[in-house]
Amino acid sequence: MQRETNPKIISNARRYAGNMIVACVLYTVFVFAGAYATRIDDLPRWVLIVAALAPLLPALLMLRAYVIFLNGIDEFQRRIQTEGVLIAAAVVGFGTFAYGFLEEWAGLPHLPLLWVFPALIAVWGLAVCVLRLRYK
Amino acid sequence: MRNRLKVLRAERNWSQADLADKLDVSRQSVNAIETGKYDPSLPLAFKIAKVFGLPIEQIFSDDEVAQAAE
Repeated sequence: MQRETNPKIISNARRYAGNMIVACVLYTVFVFAGAYATRIDDLPRWVLIVAALAPLLPALLMLRAYVIFLNGIDEFQRRIQTEGVLIAAAVVGFGTFAYGFLEEWAGLPHLPLLWVFPALIAVWGLAVCVLRLRYK
Repeated sequence: MRNRLKVLRAERNWSQADLADKLDVSRQSVNAIETGKYDPSLPLAFKIAKVFGLPIEQIFSDDEVAQAAE
């Protein structure tokens, strides 16, 4: 398989990887710090709220990195990415909707909402891989 | 939509990567256009025409029109 040689595309991908690594490191730090904070007794509620919402900041940095990446790719690549996002939104949206009914009416075990966003990212990644193969 | 990208590229001895560099797109995008899996936007089609120095209609043609011509 031939590799990409366009310097603009390569530098855009590198910048995306760099921004994502920074956001992922921050996310890991915030999650571990938050989990540690919940184990400390008698912490004020506002501290726990701040600790719980802190991982959102690096998650927003990930979103920012993705938007910058999206603006730096060509129209065909952008189509693959947006199709991937649409597929992920549909799969996770309908999946969680269906599971909500199953939880309420069929007694299936409760799943925390925390898993919705990672599921979205996972399905989006998988969808982009499948779409890339389809257009190969 | 049909196109003559592969033939025109071969005539100039350009690889897909060469054409991708000239168009400022990815090699995968050139491949998708060549194989007819993706129809470029009008601005990109004009850019392709400019790179080859040809009018758009000499590179791209409608499927039905091309079939009728055959």
